[in-house]
Order: sequence, then C-alpha cells, then structure tokens
Amino acid sequence: MHLSTARRAVNDALLSLAQPGPGSETPLAPPSDSSGAQTTAGWTKRIGRNVLFLGLTSLLTDVSSEMVTAVLPLYLTFVLHFTPLAFGFVDGLYQGTSALIRLWGGLIADRGDRRKEVAAAGYAASALCKLGLWLSGTLWLPTTVVLFVDRLGKGMRTPPRDALIALSSPRAHVAEAFGVHRAMDTAGALIGPLLAFAILARAPAAFDAIFMVSFVFAILGVAALLLFVENRGGSIDTPAAVTWPSAIALLRSADFRALTLGATLLSLCTVSDGFVYLVIQRRVDLAPSLFPLLPVVVALAYLVLAVPAGRVADGLGRSRILLLGYGALIAAYVLLAWANPSRPALLGSLLLVGGYYAATDGVLMAMTSRVVPADRLASGMALVTTGTVGARLLGSIVFGSAWSWFGPENAVRLFLFALGAAIAVAAVILPRGE
Amino acid sequence: MRGRMLAFVGLCSVCALAAGAYVRHAIRRAEQAGSAGETVAANGDRGLRPSGTTVLFRSTAMDSSYGRLALAPIEDPSRRQLVPTLSCERVDFASGRGVCLTAARGVVTTYAAVVFDQDFQPLFTLALAGAPSRVRVSADGAFAAVTVFVSGHSYGGDFSTVTSIIDLHRGDYVVPNLEQFTVWNEAERFDAVDRNFWGVTFARNPDTFYATVGSSGRTYLIKGAAGEREARIMRDGVECPSLSPDNRRVAFKRRDGNAVGPVRWRLSVLDLDSLRDVGLAETRNVDDQVAWLDNDRVMYTLPNAESGTAETTTWVVPANGGGEPAVLVPLASSTVVWSP
Repeated sequence: MHLSTARRAVNDALLSLAQPGPGSETPLAPPSDSSGAQTTAGWTKRIGRNVLFLGLTSLLTDVSSEMVTAVLPLYLTFVLHFTPLAFGFVDGLYQGTSALIRLWGGLIADRGDRRKEVAAAGYAASALCKLGLWLSGTLWLPTTVVLFVDRLGKGMRTPPRDALIALSSPRAHVAEAFGVHRAMDTAGALIGPLLAFAILARAPAAFDAIFMVSFVFAILGVAALLLFVENRGGSIDTPAAVTWPSAIALLRSADFRALTLGATLLSLCTVSDGFVYLVIQRRVDLAPSLFPLLPVVVALAYLVLAVPAGRVADGLGRSRILLLGYGALIAAYVLLAWANPSRPALLGSLLLVGGYYAATDGVLMAMTSRVVPADRLASGMALVTTGTVGARLLGSIVFGSAWSWFGPENAVRLFLFALGAAIAVAAVILPRGE
Repeated sequence: MRGRMLAFVGLCSVCALAAGAYVRHAIRRAEQAGSAGETVAANGDRGLRPSGTTVLFRSTAMDSSYGRLALAPIEDPSRRQLVPTLSCERVDFASGRGVCLTAARGVVTTYAAVVFDQDFQPLFTLALAGAPSRVRVSADGAFAAVTVFVSGHSYGGDFSTVTSIIDLHRGDYVVPNLEQFTVWNEAERFDAVDRNFWGVTFARNPDTFYATVGSSGRTYLIKGAAGEREARIMRDGVECPSLSPDNRRVAFKRRDGNAVGPVRWRLSVLDLDSLRDVGLAETRNVDDQVAWLDNDRVMYTLPNAESGTAETTTWVVPANGGGEPAVLVPLASSTVVWSP
C-alpha cells in the first residue's frame, strides 16, 4: 500500500512532464523524444529500465533507512540515554570514515566491472544493520557499531550505483535519468518516517517493530537490485586495472579537474540546511509543531522538481541548470535574510531550496558521467562527491564561525557574496558543452 | 524476466506477511501491557498524603501506569497513588503549580507542556518544539523552565536544545528561547553559534536562575538574570545544575573521562560561596537533573539496566559526599518533593 502511494507520487511528478519540455527544441537534444505520445513504454525506453529498477531499489532502501532515521533521536535519548553532544561526536567520526569508504567503494567497483556487486554489498550491509539494531536491544556499543557499519554501507554503494545509472541511460538523457532516480529515492525518504510514526502511534515505544519492518524493506531493496538490475560494463575490451593512482590520475583531465574544482567551490559557499532552518526559526513566527514539516516541504519540492530539472538540463545544458540551481539557493538566502518574515516568504525559500537540490544533486553526477571515462566512472563520482561533501562540511564550520564573529545577518550576506562569486567562477571553468 | 518478477512479488508477499505479523504482535503486546495490573487509586484521597514527605514522580512500571504521575510517601513508596489525569515524560511541581511535559506520538509526533494545579487539573497547554528533556518550576510556582531536544533532518546527528521560560499564571512563554540572552564570560560576550542552553534551576527569587550553556563540547554553569536578559559564566564542567532549598549549593553532573560513545557523568555538589565541589558517593553514570529531597540529600533516577526495559529507579544519596546510595522509589523517574 505504501509502495503504491510512492509510485503514484512519482507518477504524478512524471505526468507533469507529459508534454515535451522547452529543452527538447534545442540542438543538443535528439529530436526522437519530441514525439507527442509519451507512453510509459516510450518513456521507459528513453530512461532505461535499469534506472527505474535502481530507483525502486533506492525507494525501498530509503523507506527502510528513513524509518530508522526518523525515530533515532527518540531512541538514542530515551532508550539508550545518549546526549546530544555524545552523539555529535560519534557522528563526526562517521563523516570522516564515510569519505574513505566512498573512494574505496568506487575503486573496487570499477576494478573488474563489479558495480552491481559492490552496490549490492553496500545495500546488503545496510540491510543487515537493521537486523543488527533489532538484535542490539538497549546495548549502546553494538548499536553504535551497527550505525557505523550502516554508514559504511551507504558510502560504499553510492558511487557504483550512480555509475550504473549513468551507464544504463542514453548519454543525451542522463540528467533526466538521475532525476527519475532521485525522485524515487526522495519518495522513499518521505514514506519512511510516516510509516515509522504510524507504527509508534499504534504500539508506543515498539522500536523493535520499527527495526524489523525497516529490515524487511531493506531486504526488498536488495532483492530488487539483485533480481532486476543488470550490471553495466564500463571498459571496452579487457577490464582495466583500476588502482588508486589511476583513479587520482583522473584529475589530470582538464574537464574533470574543472568539474571537481567548480563543484567543490560551489559547495564550500553553501549554507547547510540546518542553518537555513535555524534562520527560519529565528525570523518567522511559526508554531513549534509545524517545525518538523520544514524538511518535508523541501523534500516534496525536490521530489516534484527532480525529473523536470533533469529533463531541462539534458536540453538546455547541464552546467547551466546546475548554476541555475545555485542561483535558486541565492534567491532562497535573499528571501531569508531580507524579505518580510512572512509565511509566503518562508514557503518560497523552502521551495527554492528544494529546487536547488533538484537542479544540482543528480545533475552533477550526470555531468561527471560525461567527462570521466566509463571504466573509471564510479571512482570519478566518488572523487567529486568527496570534494563536495568535504567542502560543505568546511563551509558549515566557516559559516558557524562567521555567525559568532559577525552575527547571523552578516554571515548570510558573506555567504551570499561568496556564492555569487563561486557561481561566476564556476560559469567560466565548468566544462563547455555541458 | 517473468520468473524474476514472480520471485519478487512472492518475496514482497512473504515480507508483507512477516512484517504485518510482527507489527500486530507489537500492538498486541502494547495493548496487553495496557490492561495488566490495574492499580489506579482514586485521586483526592487525602489519607494517602501522610504527615511525612511525599514525592511526586512518573511511574515507569511496565503496566498500564507507565508514564502516569503518582504520589507516594517516602516512608513506604509501595503505597503509590496514581494520578488519573496526566501522563508525562518529565514533571516538576512547586507551590500549587506543576508542569508535565507530554509527547503525543503520531504521524508527526507533537510535544507539549501542560501546566496543572494541585488537583492535577490541566490549566494551559503550550506546544513544544521538540522532545522533552528537563523541566523545573520555581519555588513560588510562578515560572517554569523547559528544555527540549530539537533534532535536524540528518542521519542521527544535529541535535540541539531549546530552553524556554513559561509564566505559570498566564500560561505563555516569557522567554521563548534562552538563546536570546546575552552571556558574559568575564568582560567578553560569549556568543558562539553552537551555543546551547539546558537544565535551568531557579533561585528563591525566580528572577535569578542557574543553567548549563554548552559550546564546542564544553559545558559551563551560568547564573542568569531573567529581567536583564543576561547571564554570566561562573565556571566550566557543570551540567544540569540543581539548586539546594537553602540556595547555597548546586548539585550537578560532571563529565567523567572522554570515552567514545555515551558520556559518563558523576554527581557532584558545588558550594556557591567557595566554588569548591565534592563528588557524591554515587559512582554510577547518572544522566539526570537531580532534585533535592531536603538540604542534605539529593534524589536522581537510574535505568534498571538488567531489566532490558524502560523501568527506572529513583535513588537518594547524601549531598556531602558521604554515605551510600539507597533506593528511594522503585519504578519511578522525574521524582520531586510534593509541596502543594
């Protein structure tokens, strides 16, 4: 039942695309998709069935992981008696390890074309962790270890999965394919918390039931991957011997270097969502009970806009849409920093943040897939992601310090200015023809 | 392809059945716990409020009383009397006014502070921004301070706290967020962006309060002046202060070591004149804002680790560092002296 709800949500998003977007008239896009009849079959052909099944895998897995994420603060504080600070420390540890495992996952996936196998191992590890949470009961150490391994699984599976998406879709529609995948992924992330709290509403404190249901969804996610997703080879003849040096050597390509640099620079000037919600909390008179809904609004906007953004990116140029996405973020900051603190302004800024995700997250991976040789795609994606994640983390630290030194308004202004400059630089250096 | 499709549909059915059965089992378990061992006594039975000290607490017995408020004489805590009206996560009470922090779990869990009178009748309900952590009512029953956890959307991390002060006679927020206060560290303003406030305790004159401010993994004791919207850092390493009835000492939890995972805390008492502290005889890890039973003893709650459930026990220990911990009220948490 929950599955069909998600499917309907995704379908609704897709239906809004029934007519060809403006992008299909530009010379970059092939004319084939401007045929009026957008039947499911035609659309599947354009995106590739593999992408839909990868989307299904992510949807099921996100239902599973977001069920746990939604109740984890409650579980850790009320059942395991963690404190905010203690968990913050453990979380910092996760972040660092996650970057290393991501690079390693990308590398071993490329080595011998084992993208599906490595992704499956990552998904399976996370699935077993849900069972591990159930088994750990109220013991904090096993729980911490299990959450840690869960993170490792997530880090490991992401680059090979994104590489599979890129290798499974026609080059002309790669951003749209990522949009479809991200929309399905986000649908799962929206369903998970609803399901978790529905269980808690009927059976208070039944965290074990949540972990068990989460485990079941994770198994289905792994099954969808193993049963339906086909491995896609990257190498033309013999599998290349992909090693750390050969992965790092990707940076010798001018296009890839420019992409990594541009994306890292943009991420460095991005204020994390946490701060955005904090600013909203300070400026808008909002009932506290509505607070948990802010991320939901962003996710809904992301869900609805992911496919159109990808589609337009394929037509108009992916780097243009990426930059437009950061432009939407600037608009969101302007609304937050200067507009009358009102509900429409708040809603507008949340929608803009959702649009920013839709125009940047999958699109960046699509761009990566076009400048990296197919046999080292997962490694390349891992490198770009490590750069952007690290930069975002650093950006948050800088923003935090700027906030204490110059006050929140000036910190937002500083980041507005920096992000504007980063967009200008990125517009010059990002690979042409994208 | 058809074969794999059938296999997947089959697996989905098996999983749906298994998950459904497990959830049904959990629901039945919750319902059974709700109907077992009904021990409710009628409210307002003055006979159960003896001459000795009575404590107010939330029951953590794994039966229908779980989460409900109860009163018991400390001489014989087994003579507990459940309050029919209120279920809470945390509670405090003084001079005819109490505050009960509630959680209504649902599709979106909502939290509230319910202000009640000495007959446990709800007077006001205020929405809270997150999961309840601490509540303290000033000795004159005029104000309460509430701390809640506000969590971000990222995986597990991103906790912060919001501490508010409520007017218990008007039923609204006087200070929506202590973050608006100016905090002074000697002559310098202390305004780190990751500043968090929690665990308020009021002095006899409720304009003065003590609380914890945390930043970059360090915690400080602050003394605040509510009227001036200002606070001053007194010393570091103090969490969840609790002022003695004579207002001369502060009981608190102190970080013990820097282990990975949950922090360990030791209970200590700080003399406010000399700023010297003494560790108490309780050496177990206490994550609680303690309450004073009288000027010589503090009480606090520990989980019953061996039970594997949410059962807890309220303990008592002398405040001078001597003596030994003793059980005060079994199956209780958030225990405070009942002074109607």
